[in-house]
Amino acid sequence: MTCEEFERVLPENEGGHTIEQKSHLNSCSPCSDLVADLNAISEQARFLRDTDTDEPNPRVWNSIRIALRQEGLIREPESAPFLVHSQPRRRRLVWLIPAGALILLMFGVVQYKRAPVQLAAQKPVLSSATSEIADASSLDDQQLLEVVSKHAPAMRASYAANLRDVNSYIRDAEESVKIDPNDEQAQKYLMDAYEQKSIVYEMAMDRSLP
Amino acid sequence: MTDARKSQAQKISEVELIERAKQGDAEAFEALYHLHKRRVYSLCLRMTANTAAAEDLTQEAFLQLFRKIGTFRGESAFSTWLHRMAVNVVLMQLRKKGLPVVPLEDTIETEEEAPRKELGAPDPSLAGSIDRLQLQRAVEDLPPGYRSIFVLHDVEGYEHNEIAEIVGCSVGNSKSQLHKARLKLRELLKTSRAEKARKP
Repeated sequence: MTCEEFERVLPENEGGHTIEQKSHLNSCSPCSDLVADLNAISEQARFLRDTDTDEPNPRVWNSIRIALRQEGLIREPESAPFLVHSQPRRRRLVWLIPAGALILLMFGVVQYKRAPVQLAAQKPVLSSATSEIADASSLDDQQLLEVVSKHAPAMRASYAANLRDVNSYIRDAEESVKIDPNDEQAQKYLMDAYEQKSIVYEMAMDRSLP
Repeated sequence: MTDARKSQAQKISEVELIERAKQGDAEAFEALYHLHKRRVYSLCLRMTANTAAAEDLTQEAFLQLFRKIGTFRGESAFSTWLHRMAVNVVLMQLRKKGLPVVPLEDTIETEEEAPRKELGAPDPSLAGSIDRLQLQRAVEDLPPGYRSIFVLHDVEGYEHNEIAEIVGCSVGNSKSQLHKARLKLRELLKTSRAEKARKP
């Protein structure tokens, strides 16, 4: 067997060599060195996985999370970022569906029970007048923050951050619904977003009571 | 806790995370991401030799995974499923760029990329003297087609029949290109060693 013949069949021989090939290796040091080098490269390559210590930039996860939220694939945890501290969790699950009408109810209940501040008019139902909601909402938010500033000034920044986040979720969800009004997932996501906003209001009003 | 129990506990935790992720739990998604991000990112980095590209591909791999997580039935390990997805994402990107995923059999892209026949006096053997860092750098210098096959087989442990299926080539082609990749690495490592020896 010549060196050329040996090198031609070498790619096929991962498992081992034939007797003829072994005989050639025993008598040919260049081919023997070649095989030794290629085996060393292959063996050392396995250990490259041990150096899997590199991490992607944190922006990668942020981008993934934003995309998942926009696609309606994730629900943010109930307790974050809205539950700021030791407020008791509110049970709001089943009786808040359909969320559009029940958010109206929530605002009505809050106003009736907890009056001292006049909140803006009740929000329209889910599928209509989202721009009216946005206008009313920003007025409500300002009023809410004024109430919080008055009764719990230390919490104002926290509530402002919560409102920013939930408004962002609402905007993302509204965008998704606009793109495909028949998308049930997007609609559910929007309802969840409004629901979360109502919880922020409820917590803020609770805190604001003497 | 023994290693076996820890591993069992981790598996159960991962199963729970997957089920929660299927329900849309954001924390579960995030936990799964952090569990597997290094492995996926390292794979993408090794195959592309480019940090920015590797980050983009990592993002895309996880997005595809999370979009399809509802279809995961547990027939294979989650990490295997994710890994295969990451490989497909990288290869698709290479194809989009018009880069050869696997060079055509018996065709060399350029003369410069082809492993050269050795002439003159033989160099000392590499066996026993390959530095991991040198090898990593040499892999980064491989042409993309060779790099893909080498990373998939020698680093990530895919078999030739799996590579053939993923990449869309024959088993013979996969073996042939792997051999050429190793020859090219040998050349790069010897050149690197020679340059090092020449420095004062």
